[in-house]
Amino acid sequence: MKFCVCIKQVPDVAANVQTGRMVLNAYDASAVEAALALTEAHGGEVHLVLIGPDMAKETIRKALAMGAHEATHLVTTAALDSHAVSRLLAAHFSEAEYDVILTGKQSQDTDAGLAGGMLAEHLGCAYATNAVGLDLEGDSTVVVTRQGDAGQEILALQAPCLVTCSNDMNDPRIPSLKGIMASKKKPLHEREVTPEAGRTELHSTYAPPGREPGIKIEGEPTEQAGELVRLLQDEAGVL
Amino acid sequence: MKTLLVVAALQDGRLKRSTFEVIARTREVAREIGGDVAAVVLHPAARDVAPELMAHGASRVHVVEDPVFDRHLNGPVVDALAAVISEIGPRLVVAPSTESFKDVMGALAARLGAGALPDVSEFGLEGDQVVAVRPVMAAKMMARVSSAEPLVIVSVRSGSYEASRSAVEGEVVPVSFSTRADAPCPVLRDILTAGGGEVDLSEARVVVAAGRGVRDEAGRDLVLELARITGAAIGASRAVVETGLFPATAQIGQTGKVVSPDLYFAIGISGAIQHVAGMVNSRVIVAINKDPDAPIFEYATYGIVGDAFKVLPPLIAAIKAQEGR
Amino acid sequence: MEEPFDCIIVGGGIAGLSAAMTLARGGARFLLIERGEFCGAKNVSGGVLWGTDLEKLVPGYADDPDAGFERFVNHRRLTFLDADSAFSVDFKSARFNDKPYGGVTVLRAVFDAWLAGKVQEAIDESPYADESFLATDILVEEVLMEDGRAVGIRAGDETFHAHSVLLAEGVNNLLTRQVGLEKPFVDADYVAVGVKEVLRLDADRLADRFQLTGRSGLTNEFVGAGTDGVEGGGFLYTNRDSLSVGLVIGMKDLREKGGTPYDLLNHFKAHPAVADMIHGAETVEYSAHVVSTGDIRGLPSELYAGGLLIAGEAAHLLMNAGKAIQGMDYAMRSGMLAAETVLEARKTGDFSKAMMSNYRKALDASYVLQDMHSFQDAVHLLHAGPMFKDVPNVLCDFGRQFFAVRSEPTPKAMSMMHAAVKRHASYWDLVKLGIKAARSL
Ligand SMILES: Cc1cc2nc3c(=O)[nH]c(=O)nc-3n(C[C@H](O)[C@H](O)[C@H](O)COP(=O)(O)OP(=O)(O)OC[C@H]3O[C@@H](n4cnc5c(N)ncnc54)[C@H](O)[C@@H]3O)c2cc1C
Ligand SMILES: Cc1cc2nc3c(=O)[nH]c(=O)nc-3n(C[C@H](O)[C@H](O)[C@H](O)COP(=O)(O)OP(=O)(O)OC[C@H]3O[C@@H](n4cnc5c(N)ncnc54)[C@H](O)[C@@H]3O)c2cc1C
Ligand SMILES: Nc1ncnc2c1ncn2[C@@H]1O[C@H](COP(=O)(O)O)[C@@H](O)[C@H]1O
Repeated sequence: MKFCVCIKQVPDVAANVQTGRMVLNAYDASAVEAALALTEAHGGEVHLVLIGPDMAKETIRKALAMGAHEATHLVTTAALDSHAVSRLLAAHFSEAEYDVILTGKQSQDTDAGLAGGMLAEHLGCAYATNAVGLDLEGDSTVVVTRQGDAGQEILALQAPCLVTCSNDMNDPRIPSLKGIMASKKKPLHEREVTPEAGRTELHSTYAPPGREPGIKIEGEPTEQAGELVRLLQDEAGVL
Repeated sequence: MKTLLVVAALQDGRLKRSTFEVIARTREVAREIGGDVAAVVLHPAARDVAPELMAHGASRVHVVEDPVFDRHLNGPVVDALAAVISEIGPRLVVAPSTESFKDVMGALAARLGAGALPDVSEFGLEGDQVVAVRPVMAAKMMARVSSAEPLVIVSVRSGSYEASRSAVEGEVVPVSFSTRADAPCPVLRDILTAGGGEVDLSEARVVVAAGRGVRDEAGRDLVLELARITGAAIGASRAVVETGLFPATAQIGQTGKVVSPDLYFAIGISGAIQHVAGMVNSRVIVAINKDPDAPIFEYATYGIVGDAFKVLPPLIAAIKAQEGR
Repeated sequence: MEEPFDCIIVGGGIAGLSAAMTLARGGARFLLIERGEFCGAKNVSGGVLWGTDLEKLVPGYADDPDAGFERFVNHRRLTFLDADSAFSVDFKSARFNDKPYGGVTVLRAVFDAWLAGKVQEAIDESPYADESFLATDILVEEVLMEDGRAVGIRAGDETFHAHSVLLAEGVNNLLTRQVGLEKPFVDADYVAVGVKEVLRLDADRLADRFQLTGRSGLTNEFVGAGTDGVEGGGFLYTNRDSLSVGLVIGMKDLREKGGTPYDLLNHFKAHPAVADMIHGAETVEYSAHVVSTGDIRGLPSELYAGGLLIAGEAAHLLMNAGKAIQGMDYAMRSGMLAAETVLEARKTGDFSKAMMSNYRKALDASYVLQDMHSFQDAVHLLHAGPMFKDVPNVLCDFGRQFFAVRSEPTPKAMSMMHAAVKRHASYWDLVKLGIKAARSL
């Protein structure tokens, strides 16, 4: 099977100090891992597609070093919302071959979680979101375990189809030295693209109001417990 | 008159509280623009919940009653919602940000050519724009966003608004629906539920959440007991879900659920940014952790530095003593 | 077996990246391995990169608004603290605005990542664009030796061969010890512990508070009560929108006197003079790291072997003679010199021990080892008790009298000084210290 994984470069949200460092979206890393694991077990290829500026090439290299076979870089410096992303991806997939498209369930920086479903709709294929498990059955059935509201749903999809992946699905591999070396020789197709306008706009970002500094309760466990109950009842009024 | 449409969220045939939160805010927005509020319910017995939606201000309740909606499946949900929305032509579609709605929001927006503002904590109409505030960067930052599309879909984080009643004389509008045989759609094979009868996490007033520090069955029993006597729902960090001690449905955070209860107990949770993203809006946060430098203490209203296995037994006893439970 | 690399560099800190840049420019084929998730991820230290070598390594960096440094230094201050006062020597010069800058403040997570990007650009333009690599997230566990010669490395179950191995692994130099050039356990006399916090402060407030314009910055070193009687010194450096505040504390003295570095740092931050500078700034990062003292007796037995070179703090190359810590510039220069030796060896294919000894010669001839030798007395002086106790006390006592106006007859300054000295130290001790200090600097 041919897996196509859509990957995005995002700022490192976990960094304490904003260093400007960019990383592979963690959800997409899980998608790459899932595709690699399945192709290693059942045969097939893993292609990547990324939309972004030149500097995003580093992220493509990282996913290639994990083991993906080839990549397409759709180059643009424009800021894109999920709609614009899904349109560019749809245009790409109208030409590229695929059996299964994988995306992350959301972008780590915006937490939007829209592009996958939008892309499936543009392509008119069946899709499943928030996958925590992925398997193949026969030559064309994809079995997805998705995390729903009340439990896990087991779904079967016929290829061609699209699945958005949760990072709870697996632990993405760290590229080996051999992987890193091999990545430089893998095909990386580059194409300038012009996105259409988005349907949403970002106006500003600001820090949320900080929480009031809290109280540390000292003492022996019994004293701490007693004091906590008193505070919860008398001061906070939540017990 | 402009209509604002609320997509009801149900669990086991009952409306979720987040539906009432969303409808309360939608009513306010409708009042500002002189519009009205309609609701849509997809469920085999959808009309059963219509009276309650009217009691919260829905003047029309569109019911799509098909057995297929007994279980969530994205294909038919997108088809049905797209049909209802095209029919009504609302200015705004608002839904609680449940996992089920997240599953369909992108495809629905694409099909309808709508602007989509997911997982917002505030929304409103300003002129011809739908504006919203949503947490980004794992809730470290807030973003002001907007869409000027004629149709906009918004999903709202639970706990963002207070639910309130405001009864109207409403009508039930049945919508006929049949599944298209040729539509691309997954086949639902099975549902693995975590076990019923528990308090729903995203709606709970009290949440007791366990982390990797709750390392074994004995620790879990203490957590379950604390939850029982406080009437709490049970949450968990990703690390402890991975150990298999708690179900994945209990996971709170960027990947898991977002909660904003009055009282949140973080027990043996370090406070990684991706976990905090899911609970930072809790009103009172209690942290019990043996590491005094754990980041969770930066968010805690009350912090206890100590071993959960030593602190929980007296805490449970003290609460029981207070309340005679 | 694959064709061996010209060089495998272990460590993507300043020393390793400077070497890599030099190798890429010199047209060599190399592999740099960093265990952090990215270059800079593990490098918590850092403050001021002194000297002008950065201009050689990345020409024109000072004119690039995206260059990975924080601020250039045009204002320096040395402050002596007693319990409640601060006596400073302060120097600011518009001449320090001229390029090349003589010092820039850096945050390593930003700076190293930026420098790595520049190295990657150099690789892309080199003849080995696809055959030289910066590999991160990989730990080198072993240097492969054959007949006393380094021939490659092992990381996990992968091995790679090279004509030379450059150890640029920093102060925690396990591989340097593994190849036998350093004892397994480092003497506590030769290492100190550095603790540091990054405190965020809005860029405008920062500029106002410290009188900064554009990208200019202040560095402030502290001696005295800040360390609560433990041997060591403090620093405060201005970054773009944050402050780096920390202490370097003698490991031995700390062990003897007890207390944790973290407590000491809090003590320092609570000093009234320091508290005024940092108030309203929010701590966003805390880190602690071992740092060499600059004692030349702490150097590895040799800095090279057949096919092997050691650069930067892995070789304990560092200067801390009171007016600044110089570890990064030493790392930069030694990395460049080591790479030049590799380039030279590459020409003849001779990577023997004799060839590698050229690195040592170059280092001996450079300011790095020259300064380390000539300032050893100052290094030792800094460890002398009076330097961080009596001297600051005397100066602050004197300052309190000299700068106070009390509407009373005022004694002459000299007698104030005498009185202060009497209260805090033996006069002779201080005179001796003064003479020693004058000689050592
Ligand atoms: C893209 C992405 C998304 C993620 N999404 C989520 C998410 O949705 N939810 C989530 O939770 N995580 C998420 N994570 C993972 C997150 O980064 C952390 O790894 C996780 O939250 C850690 O869980 P923890 O605090 O239980 O475990 P740890 O970090 O291991 O902390 C355990 C804590 O328990 C304390 N402890 C140990 N023993 C005791 C004791 N006896 N008594 C008291 N305290 C004790 C320790 O001091 C420690 O602080 C995500 C990560 C990524 C990259
Ligand atoms: C608190 C503090 C403040 C300081 N302030 C200053 C200052 O103001 N000015 C100054 O010039 N110096 C300062 N220093 C000293 C300075 O940081 C060091 O001297 C300098 O970083 C040394 O550079 P290096 O490249 O040799 O080593 P490092 O910067 O330590 O880099 C070594 C690299 O090697 C990697 N590594 C180690 N082992 C392996 C392995 N086995 N496999 C793969 N990778 C490995 C590490 O992850 C690291 O990235 C300070 C130090 C401290 C602790
Ligand atoms: N610039 C991009 N290039 C490639 N794929 C992208 C890009 N942006 C988003 N995606 C995909 O869409 C998913 C996230 O969607 P969203 O949260 O709507 O941004 C990501 O996990 C990727 O798989």
